Amino acid sequence: MSTEQYRDVWAYCVKEEDHLTRPSLEILAAARKVADKIGQQVGAVIIGYNLGGVLDEAIAYGADKVLYADEPWLKNYLCLPYTRVVCGMAEKMKPYAMLFVADELGRDLSPRVAYRLNTGLATDNINLEVEDYYFGPTNTTYKNVLAQIRPDFATRVAKIFTPRHRPQIASIRPGNFEPLPEDRSRVGEKIRFRPQPVPEDFSVEVIEEKQLPKTGVDLEAAKVVVSIGLGVLKDGSGNPRSPREGYELAKRLVDLVKERFGVPAELGATRALIYSEFKELEGLVTSERQVGQTGKTVSPDVYIAVGISGSVQHRVGMIKSKKIVAVNNDPKAPIFDIAHYGVKADLYDVVPKLIEIIEGRFR
Amino acid sequence: MLIICLVKGVPARTTQVVSVSGVLRREEMDLVLNPHDAKAIEAAHYVKKMVGGKVVAISMGPEPKILPIMNDLTEPKEESFYVPRVSFDGFDERIILSDRRMAGADTWATSYTLACGINRYIKNHFEAVDKLIEAVKNSTAEDVASLAERLYVENLLPNYIYSKLPTVRQTLVEKYTSGEISKETFISELDKHKQDLSRFIILAGMKTSDGETGNTGPQTAEALSTMLGRLIPSIAFVREFEISPDSGTILVVRKIGKTLQRLRVSPPCVLTIDSHYEPRVPYASQQKKVRANSYRGKLSKVLVWDADVIGADPSKIGFMGSPTIVGPGYEIGKPPSQKFVGETLIFKQNVDKIEVNGKVYGPFKKGDLASNIPEQLLNKLKEDGVVGYFSLEDLVDEVFGEMKLVHRAV
Repeated sequence: MSTEQYRDVWAYCVKEEDHLTRPSLEILAAARKVADKIGQQVGAVIIGYNLGGVLDEAIAYGADKVLYADEPWLKNYLCLPYTRVVCGMAEKMKPYAMLFVADELGRDLSPRVAYRLNTGLATDNINLEVEDYYFGPTNTTYKNVLAQIRPDFATRVAKIFTPRHRPQIASIRPGNFEPLPEDRSRVGEKIRFRPQPVPEDFSVEVIEEKQLPKTGVDLEAAKVVVSIGLGVLKDGSGNPRSPREGYELAKRLVDLVKERFGVPAELGATRALIYSEFKELEGLVTSERQVGQTGKTVSPDVYIAVGISGSVQHRVGMIKSKKIVAVNNDPKAPIFDIAHYGVKADLYDVVPKLIEIIEGRFR
Repeated sequence: MLIICLVKGVPARTTQVVSVSGVLRREEMDLVLNPHDAKAIEAAHYVKKMVGGKVVAISMGPEPKILPIMNDLTEPKEESFYVPRVSFDGFDERIILSDRRMAGADTWATSYTLACGINRYIKNHFEAVDKLIEAVKNSTAEDVASLAERLYVENLLPNYIYSKLPTVRQTLVEKYTSGEISKETFISELDKHKQDLSRFIILAGMKTSDGETGNTGPQTAEALSTMLGRLIPSIAFVREFEISPDSGTILVVRKIGKTLQRLRVSPPCVLTIDSHYEPRVPYASQQKKVRANSYRGKLSKVLVWDADVIGADPSKIGFMGSPTIVGPGYEIGKPPSQKFVGETLIFKQNVDKIEVNGKVYGPFKKGDLASNIPEQLLNKLKEDGVVGYFSLEDLVDEVFGEMKLVHRAV
């Protein structure tokens, strides 16, 4: 079958409690963007048990059709049965592209789906476009191929193409697409699949599922992130400071932003600071706040790096932030290479001033 | 148990990346062990301590670059450029899948290649046992013993079948040659061993520090499933796991979104190990059994297998076997314009075109950089307060100015 016969852009959506997750709504918006460019439809794929209202929710957020399987044996997420159901849908309907959220579930499921469908998978994309792609080795131009845009080796962005295979499968990092406004007047088709369980798929057995307590830390969703590094241990005159002081300052800035602008803001930290395990920061600066290669990758509107020198490992985790502000009294700190705004001064002097100015300007 | 650990060489310094039209030129850089593999290595050694067997490291990459990593995986070292600090006892065997034709592979082609290598590795053990069974059927007890010794030296038979260790007594070969067990019993024991061989475990790091995809673990499971004709389950993001001493059951804890799943699985399976993983302390009481199930020891030679050895379809490996293609990338390193408080001169207000000596400058918007302006004019603009140093106040305006204020009800 030729690649042109594959139609529609699918988004694999996840239900949590009674709603689709926010990243699911984001990839519906991403699917909408692509589908509109090529004049095709958006399909939401939803698998689980007692799906109820989320089918309509998917349509309200941009889906033209919902492809779903609602069976008791699909109650808990498991890689193999879910892979079979998703592949079954794709083999029958032949979509042009399939999007997953680049979270744990998406990373567990999408690789197997892509391999089984004998197609490519581009992970961790931050944007999608549709382009023609010229492939040298076969001297062929492939029309209307998905350009899957992802961060690449620290400071580069790469475009990944899957020109010869369908569906083109991509996972999208949360926080890069804005969900479409909810529109309950939209209409869409609901297509129910009735797969049969295959015993071979149940070699992994769920003994127990526990909902994790909400930590309240959601770095990826934050629009403003204020991060601290080992620089908080000294002030501009070289006098030692308690890391707690630096923490309190950054925290005040975070709280002020939340209060004044009503946007989600979080406090982040470098690996070096977290792994130093300062008593003063116990329970306050934990690993879920780590930004960088081995921690979270964030791309907020504003990233304020306070007392952070900016190792490559840290930079990969925040370089996609739209506006980067660096405060550091070491003028040679590599963070200044990538900062849009730099303040080469004592953070214990600068941060209180920033707070004061914001308080004054934005009443 | 065959305990297979997937490892990868990644660029030593992410800054030192050499890429030619999007394809990473691995052979032109120093490669070190992917830091995320440390957890998989610890997990592999935990499994060996629990149930015995042998640990093998398998990696795909250019031989000269992977070799130094593999060399430092034989014994734990105090300090190594190629392998970060990891608590393990060293690998029994190390295999590099290296072939020019494998270059430029995406995760699909990489997983296919790794699965071919794993398949070859497991098959070698099956073939060794089949040879032994053949000898038991057709040759003298003496020939059986000498074949068993040869296979033992090659690490292809576990101690309980044949061993020279003084601590292992009553091997199957001993019992057979002394007439304690019959030909039939021996063969049925060897058949049992073949079943054990098919209950392997594959451990992989959560992701790599260069590609960062996390695809290879699950995709290798999928690729191997096709080759073996049975579904090999994969579980990603394993943060805790425990294997029963009879190696029959593996209990896994992993996080999927906001859910903590406790799962039960039996080998064969692929586990992708998360950074939260800390190995459990194995039971000391099992040592004798663990030793019997283990193999002679460490093979000093690193095996290097090409596409032909592992029976890989050349159209499914490397660049041409990869469904995805990395197109032209672009640097996002330095922002197009940078402003430093107290250093950068900017326009403090909107300014119309300025004409000086027949040359036109501007118009300028508030916040524009005052660059490429003749010194004399610049000085004048500074005097008039039109141009000035970028201040903290300007910074706050530019950074937060676009954010909407929340209007609170009074």
